[in-house]
Amino acid sequence: MKKATPYLLLVPALLFTVFILLYPLVQNLINSFSDVSMITGRSGWAGLRNYGHIFEDSLFWSSFRNTSVYAVVGTVLALVIGLGFALLLNLKLGKINTIMGCLYTIPWVISPVVAGFAWKWLLNDNFGVVNYWLAYLGVAKVGTTWLGNPGTALFCVMLARIWQFYPFAMVMFLAGLQSIPQEQYEAAAVDGATMIRRFFYITLPNLKTVSSVLLVLGVIWSFNDFNMVFVMTRGGPMNSSMVLPVLVREFSFVHFDLGKGSALSIVIFALLTTLSFLYLKTVSREETL
Amino acid sequence: MKQTTFIAFLLSISLISCGKKSDVVELQDWNFGGRPRLIEFLRERVYSFEKSHPGIKVVQSDKSWNMIREILYADFSAGAGPDVMNTHSNFAAEFGESGFYYPINKFPDFEQVKQWYVPQLLESTRYKDNYYGLPSSAIAFVLCCNKELFDKEGIAPPKTWSQFREAAKRLTKDTDGDGVTDQFGLVLMGGDKGGFAYRMIPLFFKAGVNVMSEDLKKIEFNSPMGVAALKLIVDMYQVDHSITPGFLAYTHSEVNDLFCSNKAAMSIEGPWFRGMVGDKSPGKDMYVVPVPVPDDMIDKYDTAPTLQDMVMYSINAHSKHPNEAWELLKHLRNEEADMFWITQDLGATATTKHALSSGEAQSVKDIQLYINELNHARPWPPHPSMIAIASNIFTPYCQKAIVGELSPKAALDQAAKEAQELIDPKK
Repeated sequence: MKKATPYLLLVPALLFTVFILLYPLVQNLINSFSDVSMITGRSGWAGLRNYGHIFEDSLFWSSFRNTSVYAVVGTVLALVIGLGFALLLNLKLGKINTIMGCLYTIPWVISPVVAGFAWKWLLNDNFGVVNYWLAYLGVAKVGTTWLGNPGTALFCVMLARIWQFYPFAMVMFLAGLQSIPQEQYEAAAVDGATMIRRFFYITLPNLKTVSSVLLVLGVIWSFNDFNMVFVMTRGGPMNSSMVLPVLVREFSFVHFDLGKGSALSIVIFALLTTLSFLYLKTVSREETL
Repeated sequence: MKQTTFIAFLLSISLISCGKKSDVVELQDWNFGGRPRLIEFLRERVYSFEKSHPGIKVVQSDKSWNMIREILYADFSAGAGPDVMNTHSNFAAEFGESGFYYPINKFPDFEQVKQWYVPQLLESTRYKDNYYGLPSSAIAFVLCCNKELFDKEGIAPPKTWSQFREAAKRLTKDTDGDGVTDQFGLVLMGGDKGGFAYRMIPLFFKAGVNVMSEDLKKIEFNSPMGVAALKLIVDMYQVDHSITPGFLAYTHSEVNDLFCSNKAAMSIEGPWFRGMVGDKSPGKDMYVVPVPVPDDMIDKYDTAPTLQDMVMYSINAHSKHPNEAWELLKHLRNEEADMFWITQDLGATATTKHALSSGEAQSVKDIQLYINELNHARPWPPHPSMIAIASNIFTPYCQKAIVGELSPKAALDQAAKEAQELIDPKK
């Protein structure tokens, strides 16, 4: 009995893993190799046909490009902004730091759906605050189209995503900054290093691991982000802001082609697994150091 | 001994209660969308149904109209779903073909019930030889004109495409003199793929364009008049700049806000629009007129078809209690129930002959126009792939033409080619 106890204790977690993670994953994998439609049900083995259809579809490639831009550029910009705010908060200005820290973190705690709707209205061409201020500053005119313009829609959604992600980067960077040994700065100051040199030769190298972790995490989360894009543009206009998670929904629940939808989600899964592997490698390297 | 007797007593009681419970038939009734007044009314109808049918219990659930297709597909394909539900009438083809809807013409009293409805509305629920629902509320797409802006400009609502374009141009202006256009002639819902197709196709229908051939085997929306209809909108957007620039991102709320705030003068909408505008801007009035026709079809202004859409009540083909579901369906949609669509503004038109010819109907705003439009209107062709074609092919290609990526002809030709591939029998 004693021998069995640890295994018994593991049963709930194992059941959870099997039914919530493994079963859907295996089912999805099977679907991706089948002709399966929500209308007609499963009608046979399709082999690699669903994957072939995806890779032949120009919408997949444009969505892949959009997703990559959305994930990589969006994350990099969020990291730069997050680092900027972290440096400001690291100035140790007493109570102001606490207040500003709380304010800067607000976007992170807002639900992506709520944030998406808020940004949709902020960017409205006629009533939006963004256009109002841009017009006030003489940069753009009221009526400038953002979300309805195929050239700017993706950029606008990315902006909202950056706004949501930068606080997380800021908190992580702040923790990283506070763990840098002060002796390094003191020694540099003795050697007459300027603030800029200290930033590039002490601060940034010390934040390398945090940055790598944040970059990989940010790209994974953004790559998988459905809410913001769906709420703000639904992938439009004319699929100009279509990203892969929204495309999975299109294939599965608009075209009702579950085979193709499953194949695409397996492709995303493979991409994200690779990124997760990178993340784990980065984390383990950090632990080794 | 006492204990055994007590257990036996408990068992008997539970068996009796189980037996009693099985006498009551439980029906699931899903209601998609609807204004609060309608939902309240449906609750009352179900309550009165339960009172008159003590052996039937109805469990009502309210669901999102926007997710209706996904929700029903997911449930039906899993062999689940409600017994009774309100749905789009154009699902009759898609769900009827898939065997998800119960053919209600199988019920013995169907011929009698059929007489309640305006015949062409009931026809929208038919696919091949079966009827898959009872009409609930009908919609004809019309042109809604901002009365305040039209009166100020001293112009009448347009009847022809030239007048439409001219009116939109005249109503596009910089009202505060800051050099920026802040009032536009037309706003359309372009941010919802399905919604956009529903607002474009009335222009096609009014020009005599068919989406598909009669036998549903050939796509025809790329006919010369179809191209002309799309070119009209393209020119208004690209040349006249009389359509709100950001309309490709708009959903209901933006269209409503622009109309209410006098930033847009016209929109192609349905009977719900007056209520929506009234909720936001009480007292705001509008001219509701037919969607304009091509100049050389002015004689058909009142008779050319617009798009007809309809909500119907259907029964799940897998329902365990189809007879009880049919009783509920009739109670929800009989002539008495239909009067509620006359006495209340629920954003759609009644569907029974009794309600539409009642004395109360005569005082309902715009009803004569809607009745006339519905008499000539056409629904989407009853093809199982129609919804997918409208949302995923027709809309993106029309929008490509509007922003200038493709010419109207190239856009419709490509859309027709893709749609044709979808409906052609698979090799």
